[in-house]
Amino acid sequence: MTPAKEAAPFSFRVYRLLVQCYPTEFRKEWEREMLQTFRDCYREAVRQQVSQGLLRLWSLTLYDLTLSVSVEHWRAFLARWRRLFGFEERKIQVMTSLFSICVGERSDIGRVRSENEDSFLSYMPQDSDLLSKKGALFVVADGLGGHTGGEQASQLAVSAVREAYYADDGRDTATALKQAIEYANERIYQENKAKSPAASKEKMMGTTCVAAVVLGDTLYAANVGDSRVYVVRNGQVRQITKDHSLVADQVTAGLLTDEQARAHPERNKIYRCLGLEKVEVDAFTEKVQEGELILLCTDGLWQLLSDEEIGDIVEQYSPEESVQRLIEQANERGGVDNTTVVVASIGA
Amino acid sequence: MSDEKRDPRSLLPLTPAVLHILLALVDGERHGYGIMQEVAARTGGTIRMGPGTLYGSIKRMMADGLIEESGERPDPAMDDERRRYYRLTGFGRRVVRAEVERLEQVVRLAREKQVLSGPEMLGGQA
Repeated sequence: MTPAKEAAPFSFRVYRLLVQCYPTEFRKEWEREMLQTFRDCYREAVRQQVSQGLLRLWSLTLYDLTLSVSVEHWRAFLARWRRLFGFEERKIQVMTSLFSICVGERSDIGRVRSENEDSFLSYMPQDSDLLSKKGALFVVADGLGGHTGGEQASQLAVSAVREAYYADDGRDTATALKQAIEYANERIYQENKAKSPAASKEKMMGTTCVAAVVLGDTLYAANVGDSRVYVVRNGQVRQITKDHSLVADQVTAGLLTDEQARAHPERNKIYRCLGLEKVEVDAFTEKVQEGELILLCTDGLWQLLSDEEIGDIVEQYSPEESVQRLIEQANERGGVDNTTVVVASIGA
Repeated sequence: MSDEKRDPRSLLPLTPAVLHILLALVDGERHGYGIMQEVAARTGGTIRMGPGTLYGSIKRMMADGLIEESGERPDPAMDDERRRYYRLTGFGRRVVRAEVERLEQVVRLAREKQVLSGPEMLGGQA
């Protein structure tokens, strides 16, 4: 997940400077992707033929830059006027009717593993109807199963949950979310069956999955495995989902404390995951309001940071900055697993 | 405003950039660079878009409800950096169809006037 370590080529540094010509608003939204795409073009150009490729790349880029910089400034100017005369944009109205959500998200391979098998997704439909009916969706999954299986499973899980959840027309959000995870399970199970009909356990892929929907003033959460949803309210961190793990059951039964569970040799053992013939999904609902935070994460985070430590960070910083700091913390403590965090602040 | 009630023709004609981005997304979701490659490949390199034009168009197409973001993930064919993917909305699909129908009429008109089969230089030659 880290950007390429190679020294930034000269062309790339120049383009990064030139991008500053775009209006601030535009840059905030698109700078990252524009730089990424420019780098892709740059690599392609260099691969073809260095001198000629670069010449072509720059002639296109400069032409594009002069044209689109003036277009974007003109658009920004018009938008300002429109706002001045009360023609608010549609998007802003949607935001106020549903409250705005600010999201930070990040996944990191950690310090020990050679692959990142986590996947995540946050999705807010552009279509205002869909947004007001189905809300915003956040999904985190932690893949299991060697080679690329784990990554494939977690990737499939997050995309299948989104696909199924937004395709569902039913009125009951909690049920729709549960069924979306069941659908993801079915998809992974079918992949497993197609790959190894004999169902040899070593070759099967699986994944945890936790999903959260914010709709109106309600948070709907559903999970399988030990990836979690938290709500942070006035500095208090509260776990909403219940892990399907051996240690979590023992904590509930009063046989282990939280700290003991975090350090337990069997802390990674879960008894439910996606990819099997049948799966049981738990669902939770919770009222949320402006100023509160929702946090989704894989065990890479919660095994290394206590609830209080997580709360301290997310209370102090913006979601974007929080996820970065949380992952840095986890890595400083060994980064023994992949770590994925999504933080969404409501009405910030 | 419900998309079912929106008239796709209200957005026509589309700019070349918008039309080509829509066409690039007709057969599946792509990230920004993927859209660029698809457009370049399908037009034999005659239409090339820079990042400014691409993302300026994407921004307005999202505001118009033609396309939507479909998640962020690495492209297995490239590196392991996460890329934002885009896909058509139902409305976007109707808009591209309406635009192509409109262009078809233009082509039909041109054929009737034998633009394609007639002499290349009308009256220019001695």
